[in-house]
Amino acid sequence: MFRELIGGLRITMQAMLRKPLTIQYPEEQRPVPPRARGRHILHRYDNGLEKCIGCELCSGACPVGCIYVLPAANDPAHPVSPGERFAERYEINLMRCIYCGYCAEACPTEAITLGPRLDLADYKRERLVATKADLLEAWPGFRPPGGAAGGGPR
Amino acid sequence: MAAEELRILTRHLGAPGVTGLPGYEAVGGYRSLRRALGMTPEAITAEVKASGLRGRGGAAFPTATKWGFLPQDVFPRYLCVNADESEPGCFKDRVLLEELPHQLLEGTLIAAVALQASHAFLYVRGEYRAPRELLDRCVAEAYRAGYAGQGVAGSRFGCELVVHGGAGAYICGEETALLDSLEGLRGQPRLKPPFPAVRGLYGQPTVVNNVETLSNLPYIIEHGGAAYAALGTEASPGTRLFCVSGHVERPGTFEVPMGHTTFRDLIALAGGVRTGHVLKAMQPGGGSMQVLGPEHLDLALDFKAVADAGSSLGAGALVVMDETTCMVDVSMRLVDFYHHESCGKCVPCREGTYFESRLMHRLEAGLASADELLTLADICEHMEGRCFCPLGDTATWFVMSAYRRFADEFRAHCGAGCCPVRAAAEAAA
Amino acid sequence: MSAAPSPPPELVTLTVDGRAVSVPAGTLVWDACEKAGVFVPVYCAHKKMDPVAVCRMCLIEVGTMPKLQPACATVVQAGMEVRTATDRVQRFRQGNMEFLLLNHPLDCPVCDRGGECDLQDFAQRYGPPRSRTAITGKVHFDKARPLSDRIMLDQERCILCWRCVRYCDEITGDRAIVLQERAVHTVVDTFEGRPLTGPFQGNLPEVCPVGALTHTAYRFRSRPWDLQRTPSVCPGCSYGCTVGIDSRDNAVVRFVSQDNPDVDDSWLCDRGRYGFPELNRQDRVLTAELSLEGPVRAVGALEAVGAAARALAGVLERHDPDQVACLGTPQMTNEEAFCLQWLGRDVIGTPHLDHQLEPWPDLAPDEFRLAIRELEDCDTVVVLGERPEAATPVLTLRLYKAERKRGRQVLRIAADADPTELAGRVRDRGRVGVVAHEADRDRARAVATALAAANGSVHRLTLTEGMNGRGCKDLGLLPGLGPGYRRLDRAGMHGRAILAAAAEGRLRALVVVGPNPEMEQDPAYEAAIARVPLVVALTPVRGLLSRHAQALLPGRTMAEKQGTVTSSEGRVQRIRVALQPRIGAPPPELRLLVELGRSLGGTWESAPLATPAFDVICDAVPAYRGTRGGLRAAWPGTGGAA
Repeated sequence: MFRELIGGLRITMQAMLRKPLTIQYPEEQRPVPPRARGRHILHRYDNGLEKCIGCELCSGACPVGCIYVLPAANDPAHPVSPGERFAERYEINLMRCIYCGYCAEACPTEAITLGPRLDLADYKRERLVATKADLLEAWPGFRPPGGAAGGGPR
Repeated sequence: MAAEELRILTRHLGAPGVTGLPGYEAVGGYRSLRRALGMTPEAITAEVKASGLRGRGGAAFPTATKWGFLPQDVFPRYLCVNADESEPGCFKDRVLLEELPHQLLEGTLIAAVALQASHAFLYVRGEYRAPRELLDRCVAEAYRAGYAGQGVAGSRFGCELVVHGGAGAYICGEETALLDSLEGLRGQPRLKPPFPAVRGLYGQPTVVNNVETLSNLPYIIEHGGAAYAALGTEASPGTRLFCVSGHVERPGTFEVPMGHTTFRDLIALAGGVRTGHVLKAMQPGGGSMQVLGPEHLDLALDFKAVADAGSSLGAGALVVMDETTCMVDVSMRLVDFYHHESCGKCVPCREGTYFESRLMHRLEAGLASADELLTLADICEHMEGRCFCPLGDTATWFVMSAYRRFADEFRAHCGAGCCPVRAAAEAAA
Repeated sequence: MSAAPSPPPELVTLTVDGRAVSVPAGTLVWDACEKAGVFVPVYCAHKKMDPVAVCRMCLIEVGTMPKLQPACATVVQAGMEVRTATDRVQRFRQGNMEFLLLNHPLDCPVCDRGGECDLQDFAQRYGPPRSRTAITGKVHFDKARPLSDRIMLDQERCILCWRCVRYCDEITGDRAIVLQERAVHTVVDTFEGRPLTGPFQGNLPEVCPVGALTHTAYRFRSRPWDLQRTPSVCPGCSYGCTVGIDSRDNAVVRFVSQDNPDVDDSWLCDRGRYGFPELNRQDRVLTAELSLEGPVRAVGALEAVGAAARALAGVLERHDPDQVACLGTPQMTNEEAFCLQWLGRDVIGTPHLDHQLEPWPDLAPDEFRLAIRELEDCDTVVVLGERPEAATPVLTLRLYKAERKRGRQVLRIAADADPTELAGRVRDRGRVGVVAHEADRDRARAVATALAAANGSVHRLTLTEGMNGRGCKDLGLLPGLGPGYRRLDRAGMHGRAILAAAAEGRLRALVVVGPNPEMEQDPAYEAAIARVPLVVALTPVRGLLSRHAQALLPGRTMAEKQGTVTSSEGRVQRIRVALQPRIGAPPPELRLLVELGRSLGGTWESAPLATPAFDVICDAVPAYRGTRGGLRAAWPGTGGAA
């Protein structure tokens, strides 16, 4: 009995002296693997046009129905995407999303991918419905008026 | 085995002024028509049946049988003369139109009497403008002389002759497409049934006959069906016009008795394969039919014999190809023809000929891979027997027969970057 | 006395994939396969059009015939053995799909048809696993070409099934669409490239199996999985076409046909089909408003009902009920119309009720004896003037079908044609139909009488105005006729007279249910309403009526409520809720009317909901019993329900 006690305590002592695996988040962060599926990004072409053509295939593929797409016709004078069609509204309910990546697989233009941002917690539900403004990537070289980051082209 | 022409159909060819009415009457023209007017329609049909005359447009359907399909009591009925000769390699109807127009008109009117047709429509290929203008003049002459219109040659029978020009579509040689074109619609084949004999032009019973078929009628009425059948063989009675073209010394049209003449004879009539060259392949029947080779030279020009060899006499054309010919090139050109002429009605022909054509161009240029030969076979499998009309079938026959027979040549093109046959010919030169 | 019934068609028995099936002689193999439960894919074949067999998708094996046969163009024979699942058939389907996809653009993501496209579906089910088209390149045409203000053509997507061409030839007869050029360059076109002008263009995107012909109004709006489909009735006219109301985000995005062979025969008119924006109007009356004392203030609907009841009770204490009138609208449901006539007659006690302007004192169900479907069975159909087809456009297609497919005679005569002269021309026919608009009913009656002497049977179809003009009539929202055309002792003023009385200041109160387009277009309407001291109005939209109401109660559009409506031919059909009312929305009109009546001391025994209300109607009007499922009401002496 005494021996078992010592044996158990020995394991406890060993564990106490071992360096803990705990990462002190948020001061320290675990490196995100390259293919991690975090918050979505709507991509653009190099010329600034959005890749998204409003086809709604992502919304159709989504197993939980968390994507809302409202398509519209491009104004030929000021096209948002190449071609006839773009997404006038694009919203993802990040609380419903299961981050499976089916939307990215379904997308015919590689407009939507899941990026590395995993820090999505918030106190307000409204802020967890990401809109196009939230999801669109910045246009390289584009400086939006007011210096907002990651905003739309207008 | 005769290596000579037997001028029956073309017996009056070259007679002075025979393209005009006086010249034609001078050689006995329109006597058969007068004789036919004194016969009953049944008697005329019986003579044609005795003659064993088969359609000369390519399908070789027994003419008297076709006439027999008309329902007894439905009037009016119409006769259409199919002068839309568009088969590659075929120009015999043109000879008849240009040299013996009145013989055609006489034959047309004889058929009209047998069918009790109130109108005969002569549908002439759009590109045959000069022959058509000649035909217009001859029809006017026939009207003036009382051979056409009401009271033909003073009898109680009346038949109006109408000449109509096509607008450049091979498909309008197909009888139901011809009827639609004649009615002013798009020239595309119709769903059968109903068949033209029951419901044809403008919904009335109609017979469509080829120019050469009808041009035989004056002789048959004059000399009797049996006499006609005695020329040729039992299976293939009568004579036939054959167009020989390609790598021969003297391309042209020749009239020979069926069954007694062989391919060798026919080529000999055309002066033989051009000097210094050797026969590589020959295509009977016009652009539609399967390719034959030198081993078939002694085949008789007989429907059954040629069918047993895997091809068909078709519309009576023979294209001779010598050793300088690239079979892929020939196939490509023929496929291009069908792609251009496809009416577009049905999916397999419309898209299949497009697919074939693009693929053959790649193959000929040496850009295709070996897989594409399998694709070609697939395309042809899905076209043959699946299309709305036989054009889809004919678009596959030559190229598949050439592929089977000259498989090495086809394979040699794959990935070659150019046509190896042409490259070899240039290297030799 | 109608023509002798034809003997039942002889049945033919054949096998499809081993299953025996019996069908009438003359049936196409395609239809026999469907009856046997075997699906055969088609593009060019269409139930309402003659077969052309151009797409070749339906090729199947038949008996010992060496070539595959098109199921859509082959007639069944006794003992025929049809095989649709053999290797040969499957291989060919794959090859044919490859051909179809060869020149088809990769448009699915931007094509409105995506998700409900036969090309997609059959490609997935029967098509090749990979594409070999990289070697060919595709043929290119104009894309996104407007054929009119409502139809777009994308020629590259067209698979040349000919359905649109045949639709314009066989169904509408206007031959507006033709094919030009040949082979792979064949295109769909209009005469001289001019825009389409017909009134039935909206059916083109429904006949087109792919996204070549699309609705401009639906362009880039939605995907099929976003849509909620609600079966209902088109509110455009009184013909009663069944429609599916497709809505997204609680707004209507399109109407689709629901193929009712008795009414629309799967065709809708553009006026009805593209009239759905009316249901999405934003200028709504969403809350009740009172201006009985002082300025307008918004209140709860039931509170407004109470205030309106008190005001009406006050009027009835001081004045005769004769000085109150009730006006309905043909856009009301049967339940609402019945309730309004109860409110007016039984509760308020006024005989002045109507839903239309003109009087029709001798109205009887015999006006509507002929059913729409029976038009095809008449030997001759006489159409009076242009009003019938202007009021109910889909009628034109049924008449064309009667002529073209059934070989019937359709005589369009001037509305004021001489009946005796007509009787000279139309004689010895078995069945004659006379179609007229209600404005021409007297002339129609004269024509029918004149023709009855020399022909077998003459029945009439009178076309009413509005989605439920017939229902309002059947249920007695008329002065002088109670529910079921029961003649009343006291006849009241009809619509026009009510407005005149109002304008002259002879009315103290008016209960009005709107909107009533016919009345609102009349110049006397606004002045009349404005003159009445107490107007209790119930309407969904802002307009003339809402401006002049002292008690304004919020109504619903026909897409937001359920109930029944009766078409001109007497067919009682359901409308259903397509757009959900928002949380906290006021109750539907029926409840408000019932509460109004109850607050005035009236008795309404059942719950103020559509379904129990319909039972009340059936008690009062026995003809409405047995109409469940969209059948015609059975009026005595009119030959029974159908």
